[in-house]
Amino acid sequence: MTTTIGSIGKEHLARLAQAKQDVLREIRKAIIGQDDIVLDVLNSFFAGGHCLITGVPGLAKTLLISSLGKALHLSFKRIQFTPDLMPSDIIGHDMLAMENGRRELRFVKGPIFSNIVLADEINRTPPKTQAALLEAMQEHQVTAGGETYHLEEPFFVLATQNPIEQEGTYPLPLAQQDRFMFSLVIGYPTKQEEVQILDATTSNRQADIRPAMTQEDLLTAQEVVRHIPVASPIARYAVRLAAASRPDDKNAPDFVREYVTLGASLRGAQYLVLAARARAAMDGRLAVSIDDVRGAAAGVLRHRIIVNFKADAARINSDEIVKRLLKSVAAPGSGL
Amino acid sequence: MGESRSIGSVAQFQSRLAGVLGEVVVGQKEAIDHVIVALLCRGHVLLTGGAATGKGLLVLALAKATQMEFKRIQFTPDLMPSDITGSEVLEESAGGGERIKRFVPGPIFTNLLMADEINRTPPKTQSALLEGMQERQVTAGGETRPLPSPFWVMATKTSFETDGTYPLPEAQQDRFMLNVEMRRLSEEDELRIVTSEPAAELAKITPIIQKEELESYQRTVRDVTVPAPMQQYIVNLASATRPGTPDATEAINRYVAWGAGVRATQYLALGAKAKAAMDGRDVVSAEDVRFVSLPVMRHRIGLNFRAESENMSAANVVGALLEAIRA
Repeated sequence: MTTTIGSIGKEHLARLAQAKQDVLREIRKAIIGQDDIVLDVLNSFFAGGHCLITGVPGLAKTLLISSLGKALHLSFKRIQFTPDLMPSDIIGHDMLAMENGRRELRFVKGPIFSNIVLADEINRTPPKTQAALLEAMQEHQVTAGGETYHLEEPFFVLATQNPIEQEGTYPLPLAQQDRFMFSLVIGYPTKQEEVQILDATTSNRQADIRPAMTQEDLLTAQEVVRHIPVASPIARYAVRLAAASRPDDKNAPDFVREYVTLGASLRGAQYLVLAARARAAMDGRLAVSIDDVRGAAAGVLRHRIIVNFKADAARINSDEIVKRLLKSVAAPGSGL
Repeated sequence: MGESRSIGSVAQFQSRLAGVLGEVVVGQKEAIDHVIVALLCRGHVLLTGGAATGKGLLVLALAKATQMEFKRIQFTPDLMPSDITGSEVLEESAGGGERIKRFVPGPIFTNLLMADEINRTPPKTQSALLEGMQERQVTAGGETRPLPSPFWVMATKTSFETDGTYPLPEAQQDRFMLNVEMRRLSEEDELRIVTSEPAAELAKITPIIQKEELESYQRTVRDVTVPAPMQQYIVNLASATRPGTPDATEAINRYVAWGAGVRATQYLALGAKAKAAMDGRDVVSAEDVRFVSLPVMRHRIGLNFRAESENMSAANVVGALLEAIRA
């Protein structure tokens, strides 16, 4: 299914930037506000990464993601994760069926066979079921009854975590959180936006979202993103940013040593570069800038930096650590 | 799409329906009006309140008066998702010999579903119901099947946190437009019930509407206007319930762990529209918003331990909120 585009030209970038504008225009028919989240999710789609989304119930997460699915012409399924969900509820199972008078095993595909899977409240389900999802995320294929099945491409998982009710939840292990490119936090809309939402959603008017891209377009866009060149000072900045978040790194700033238990892995640096590429591509630029890296830092590093008890007591969270890192790690060209 | 009707016809419908239901369900005038609000908004209802307050009767009477097909599911700890959605069976074809697969629809394929004691069933079974409620379709045997229209759920839950219950997570409670609480009956009401047996009235109910007509009333409701100051009032109410934000009142910060999301804002507006239409007005007033505040917010506000130890209920908190935030 992958397309080869050889070298990228201006027309590829122009088309991609136009596609971004078209998708945003369609999304805004149904979603009011939340521009940052929409752009970050779009960024992860263009980069081929998965997202972790944290937010209280009732903020229209499902509507946001299903609308994106419509605008990108992708199939969409939502799975509610519960304490009694089994791996086969996600992947599918073999069933005995009659075919031409003979009994045969037939594989009934589970909800994971979809372009976009919204994994709602992933931390309410036990580890084995989480692992089934995460394996599929990593490998884009699943195994059931000894057979391997390929998932549809493109394939994205958006997993939500509910920040309140922590009772009876199974927090995702760090190694598994690491597989998500972005961790996004969705907040309440502003009052002005909330008035607009009220106005738009309680009348007889209906938002009519039309596809602004095809599956093929998106696969091509992913290819373009991977071909965007990254200058070595920019890549070095991303590597240094991630390294500075590790308390045992020799260049770690004091606040990291004081407040951080675990810093970002190399995957953090890789995703910083990938996200920066996608940001540049979505703007129709061939050159990745420092600001592209900085703009992606919160989403990429938030879930990879684990703060200690001292930080909790001082009310310093990983977002705050990222903010301070952006201030303290020198950008290339400024005294490197 | 169908057309809408005049506001006056909605008001007429409300008074006839409330009259019929009031004959059967004694002493619950307000709860009946709240349920009619939900009906006019296509919103599902979580019915709470003590035993023998007429929850079952109310649902049965509604089904009869509106000619909706009615099914009831008693949720038990051993209920499976397929007991709700249905399943595929192999059977002999008419001529014999050949075996064919047939989908046997579960009880969710109906117009009015009474889901009794939903918190007694395990989460996966709960979520099969809640998915049907949200998406108006279910997935069974690998295929997605649309539910009939209208599809309306009235659910009850056991009010005591007894052993062996599975509390509904707040994200799932959010799928109910209203949490209507049946009030405690007065002595006069109880006397009326034991002497005259209003349940017998149930048999006498004649339909007052075709279920197909409902949609036109629902469209009329959505055409009611919410003036700008009322929009602001609704948003102010909802945002004031969110602790730790600049809009939160002192009582909210003290007693509330989490507040009402955007869905509360939407349902406050929609519910107020229905109430206005029920009163024959095509513009929402502050009184309409206040009327639906408690049932919209009761199950969307999470109280903290302090509220529990000081005996504060969601009703107290919403009451204080309506005092503090004025239109």
